[in-house]
Amino acid sequence: MLIADALLQGILMGLLFALVSLGLTVIFGVMDIVNFAHGEFLMLGMYSVYWANFFFHIDPLIALPVSAVVGVLLGLASYYWFIKYLLRGPAIAQLFGTFGLMLFLQYFAMFLFSADYRMIDKGILVGKSLSVGPFIFDWTKLAAGILSLVAFAVVYYFLHKTKTGKALQATSLNKEAASYMGIRTDRMNAIAWAIGGGTVGMAGGMLVNFYYAYPMVGILFVMIAFACVALGGFGSIKGVFFAGLLIGILEMIFPVFGHLIGSDFLGPHFKFTIVYLAYFIIVVVRPQGLFGWKN
Amino acid sequence: MKIRSAAVFSLVLFLSLLIASPAAFSAEKEIKIGVLYPLSGALATIGRDLQRAAEVTADIINNKAPGVDIPMAQWGGIPNLGGAKIKLIFKDHRGEPDRGADLAKSLILDDKVVGLMGAYNSAVTKTVSAVAERYGIPMINDSSTSPDLTERGFKWFWRTTPHDNYFNRDLFELLKGLTEGKVKGVKAVPKKNLQNLAYACENTEWGSSVAKSIEGYAKEYGFTITKGLLYNANAPDLTSEAKALVAAKPDAMLFAAYLSDSLLMIRTLKGMKAQTKFFWGQDAGFEMADFAKTLGADINGVLTRTVFIDKITKVKKVAGQVNAIYKAKYGDDLTGATARSVVGVQAWAYVLNKAASTDPKAIQKACNEINIPADELVMPWAGVKFDAKGQNVLGRGLIGQYQKTTDGKVSLEIVYPFDLATANFIYPFPGWK
Repeated sequence: MLIADALLQGILMGLLFALVSLGLTVIFGVMDIVNFAHGEFLMLGMYSVYWANFFFHIDPLIALPVSAVVGVLLGLASYYWFIKYLLRGPAIAQLFGTFGLMLFLQYFAMFLFSADYRMIDKGILVGKSLSVGPFIFDWTKLAAGILSLVAFAVVYYFLHKTKTGKALQATSLNKEAASYMGIRTDRMNAIAWAIGGGTVGMAGGMLVNFYYAYPMVGILFVMIAFACVALGGFGSIKGVFFAGLLIGILEMIFPVFGHLIGSDFLGPHFKFTIVYLAYFIIVVVRPQGLFGWKN
Repeated sequence: MKIRSAAVFSLVLFLSLLIASPAAFSAEKEIKIGVLYPLSGALATIGRDLQRAAEVTADIINNKAPGVDIPMAQWGGIPNLGGAKIKLIFKDHRGEPDRGADLAKSLILDDKVVGLMGAYNSAVTKTVSAVAERYGIPMINDSSTSPDLTERGFKWFWRTTPHDNYFNRDLFELLKGLTEGKVKGVKAVPKKNLQNLAYACENTEWGSSVAKSIEGYAKEYGFTITKGLLYNANAPDLTSEAKALVAAKPDAMLFAAYLSDSLLMIRTLKGMKAQTKFFWGQDAGFEMADFAKTLGADINGVLTRTVFIDKITKVKKVAGQVNAIYKAKYGDDLTGATARSVVGVQAWAYVLNKAASTDPKAIQKACNEINIPADELVMPWAGVKFDAKGQNVLGRGLIGQYQKTTDGKVSLEIVYPFDLATANFIYPFPGWK
């Protein structure tokens, strides 16, 4: 019973982690750039829904597209006004560049919104739960899980079934060859950033239904997103999905396991130790990650 | 001739003034106190509030505040130091102990501060005070409550706030009071209905020492701990922690949480429709203005230990006066954390005035002898007087309960000590809507 409950809760949390990581892996897949500012995109997605709710009283669920649009614009702006210029420099410049973007967005958000914690207290789903037999689910988390499934399906379809998606994949496989074939790689990069920003913006918009927004919130989730991306295999959509699920389940199951055998040592305070331990083992045994193909 | 004698006369007058009252010419002197708070990162909100409260107090001392009935509000600087102004130099330690230690060193060596104050997080206070001890610079700690801090035999460390052992004992006194029918508005509760306790504490210095202390008092007062867990306050998710608490089916849930994790914990427990009779938080997150603002009516019946509740302004005149200044400037009432910051700066002012010098030895002596009377404090304490370990022995805690008001908001009412109670206790915890 306890295990089944933890498994279900873990899947929900895992779907959310996967959604947060999706954009990160898309950008990395296409451009080989680790976007350190990914968590800040999430943070701004959270704020966009929060303010839409605060100023215009739009239900946080209905305001979700706002966060997607903010995310897409943020991704495009970052690419055209910033990342594009970094590409001329060495790889280390891209690393420090996105790190700088992260710090800038964090402190800019603190300047604009102050360091206060902000939480939405009213909404269609906020604070409501669904009882199914012995299980109780948070409606907001269920909705986040569903959104994650939809987002993955759409991105997967886009990459594998549309012409642009195939061009995107070609760019990620071999940039030079792709540009010789007439693919506008610059545009592909921009599309990757738009997808990356849009999905994580939406994840933020969903998250603010049950998590507080503040300028430094990104780092909490992006740490897990990094683990997801590395675990699943850099640039792999399928990989990040299952890695997200795995992390969510591990994080929930482990403390329950500790509870069942009556051990305080295996308590919740070590749950992320196990998550990162799993990450460490997989990276050592299989450096390309679960579904990775890039070296 | 006339002009010359006049000139000589004024020169003599000027020189004699110079010799007779050095104070008159050093009036603009500043006394630098280094203040370390978490001004960015997860604790930036509380850090900002603490900084504001400290600044308001320094302003009251430096520039007088006619409406405040504390002698220091009429000083306009430190009288025994020629009216020198207190200058607070704020540094942001982000809640990181090693960063705190580095900043303390730079405050002492580069800024040449006379003393230190802070650092809120017990873990940071621990490293900062170790630096102060090494350099022989006095540190007055206003708001860290880990009991161990004054158990280290330090010679340069004093703490104005009561520590967690005082507060945890208050909690068990309240539980005992409930079983004995001493609580306002509640008939005696059979002890077997409150026997089983469960706690969840954040896993740094502060939270884990609260956990240890709760275990100790539970044994002493004859309660059973059915589940106790420590968790990481910066977790993106607390579902498994909340599940573990609920699975233990405790009569009372006890917490030591900072703001972000307290919000998440309550939301998560609410999502699970967690049931318990008694819901208590050990200060920090639970007593911050943002806690009530964010969670609203969800916390009807939740208890928090604190050292200050704005209702106290009804019974303590000076608390109301200082609170009015703070509220006019920043819109919020003082809280347990910010009011302690007020007392911290106040203690510094009294100590400096008593020492009449900025020499560390003189300040050390003044700290050991200081005795601030109760009616000059914004706190409901019997005063400030340090024991040999540097702990203020005259402090005491309060326990407040959030109660829904008719306009749908919540206000914090005093329920302990029993003689100060401002409202009937809500028992059992009404649960979530």
